[in-house]
Amino acid sequence: MSFSPGHIKGAIVTMRANRWRSLLTMFGIIVGVASVIVIIGISQGVKRDITNQVNSYSKNVITVSSRAASVSSFGFSTVPAVSTLTNQDVKALAHLKGIRASVPLYLLSGVATGDRSYPSGVVIATNQNLPLVLNQSLAYGAFFNDQNSNGFSAVLGNNAARALFKGSIPLGYSFTWGGQQFVVDGVLNKFNVTPFSNNTIYNDAIFIPDIVASQFNHGSSSVFQILVKAKSSAQLPSLAKQISLTLLRTHSGQHNFSVLLPSQIASNSTGILGLLTELTIGIAVISLFVGGVGIMNVMLVSVTERMHEIGIRKAVGASNRQILMQFLIESTTVSVAGGLIGIILALLVDVGLRDTTNLSPVISWQVVLISALISIMIGIVFGSVPAFRASKKEPIDALRND
Amino acid sequence: MALINLEDVSKLYGFGDATTLALDEVSLSINKGEFVAIMGPSGCGKSTLLNIMGLLDRPTHGSYKLSNRLVERLSPSRAAKLRRDTIGFIFQSYNLLPRLTVLENVALPLAYKGYSLTRRLELASSMLERVGMQNREYFYPSQLSGGQIQCAAIARALVNDPTIIIADEPTGNLDSNGSRLVMELLSEIHKMGNTVIFVTHNPELTRYATRVVYMHDGLVVQDETSDLGQVAKTARRNLYSVPRKSVEDDLAGVSLLMKVMPEDDKKDELAEEKPKSKRRKRGTTIRRRS
Repeated sequence: MSFSPGHIKGAIVTMRANRWRSLLTMFGIIVGVASVIVIIGISQGVKRDITNQVNSYSKNVITVSSRAASVSSFGFSTVPAVSTLTNQDVKALAHLKGIRASVPLYLLSGVATGDRSYPSGVVIATNQNLPLVLNQSLAYGAFFNDQNSNGFSAVLGNNAARALFKGSIPLGYSFTWGGQQFVVDGVLNKFNVTPFSNNTIYNDAIFIPDIVASQFNHGSSSVFQILVKAKSSAQLPSLAKQISLTLLRTHSGQHNFSVLLPSQIASNSTGILGLLTELTIGIAVISLFVGGVGIMNVMLVSVTERMHEIGIRKAVGASNRQILMQFLIESTTVSVAGGLIGIILALLVDVGLRDTTNLSPVISWQVVLISALISIMIGIVFGSVPAFRASKKEPIDALRND
Repeated sequence: MALINLEDVSKLYGFGDATTLALDEVSLSINKGEFVAIMGPSGCGKSTLLNIMGLLDRPTHGSYKLSNRLVERLSPSRAAKLRRDTIGFIFQSYNLLPRLTVLENVALPLAYKGYSLTRRLELASSMLERVGMQNREYFYPSQLSGGQIQCAAIARALVNDPTIIIADEPTGNLDSNGSRLVMELLSEIHKMGNTVIFVTHNPELTRYATRVVYMHDGLVVQDETSDLGQVAKTARRNLYSVPRKSVEDDLAGVSLLMKVMPEDDKKDELAEEKPKSKRRKRGTTIRRRS
């Protein structure tokens, strides 16, 4: 007999006899397992959201940015002091083959004031193709187009609408920007916001026609980004190459811009997330290690305390191996119980996060299974030293120990 | 053929100046079916002798043949197997595991033998019935009297069907009723053909034994056969030659040999015993006084 249900029952009896001690011993494992599962879940969830979002808002969209404005290593879009993209680039790209629509985004400075002042708002000059390119519909009204009205119309991002005006639907309301009155033509639906993505800006933005904007900057506004929507996803790579070549020509051979495919944007956004995830998993692994050492410590104490019992068991015929198994199973039971509690805790935290935040962690069965295996391994690895000590004790010495 | 055969077995504890000689070249052979009582003052090496015979301890020198097989240098796992299959232990302090029920305690040796759980509990239950404890199966040791616990311990020692029962002062912690219960059980076990070796301080208990071995300072000083039901001669001399203080002392199994013996008597006895022991040390056989 080297392993039997009796062993596990015995281990559970021992655990219940020392309830507090067992619980405290498990603590490290519980925290470690729960945090590994939760962190991986959050990161998977955010990754999924970003991918979904890239698919919905940036489907077939190639993002052309100024080199300085390209996504930095930490994933945040940084707005350059001077952009390398110009109106010439916008015009050059508009004539490429395979393009469904292209949209320049000019970032403009100045504070807009409606019912209230809105200093944190961003004013973006663009053209009528924006809803098409971003695949976003309007909540109210219509997007401005080049043909209509006097040009001084604007469309608001969802947050901007609420920040500028008291009314719930600000259609036809006006606000002042740059000494000029603008009339609100429409309000965009809210963009789903995910961490480290561009969409945050769109919700806070005030969009005005690019023709109007050029009047303010004497026709030399710098371009923040150019979004180019391809006709089909199959054309994306070749189109990206074409864009690069065209821009190289207009920039006299200088490669001071970046051309990003949708997948690259997603990977850029998730890069920072990956780094954070790895860091946190690292900490969780340390917690698991410390938990393991805790188990080892408690098992060593337990072996010393129960030396007499070991003596009795050996006297009635237990071999060294059987004693070794008994203590190994005990330590493994403690760590597995910790692992299970950790998994349950992770599921609870998951429910809590879904209820209270806009995160939706993805908990996959693989991660749960791996955590369970890791907790079994910790029990075996850290329990082996105490178990070995217990098994090697001479029966008579163990019996004498009271 | 002797079941247990010890030849010049010595046991030393500690080293250097602190060395203690617990057994001094003891030679002893015990045949199958004997009921041996080992007597002697505290610290004379009785328990050490039992532990070596029970394979719980190893002799420092000398040879030990169990069923004609040399066992003094067995590997731990083989010793464990031999203990499991041929030897049953009964301790003065009972040594039941407090967290297990009586039934589980009795079934413990069978677990190490590889029996299934149901079979274990079945065998343990029938063994408890034999010792008259069937209605206490699900009690914990802490809920029983000393006598009852010792009966359960005896059931545990017997459950493996061993050929040798080794009992280290089985009645040491019991009152007279408990002692009688336990000794009668051992006596029954002996009648069924088992070899029983027990240590006692109480001369009264030699009534149950067929042979009494006296030890002193790690030596066997006297070895006599004794009739069942009679107190052994040497023990009787000590038992009746000294005034009893009270009935309790006698009944509680307290060592009368040492406790109430007048100092002069003890000296006389030692003076008388010493030369004999020296002689025996040189010879290989032990002279028995009938």
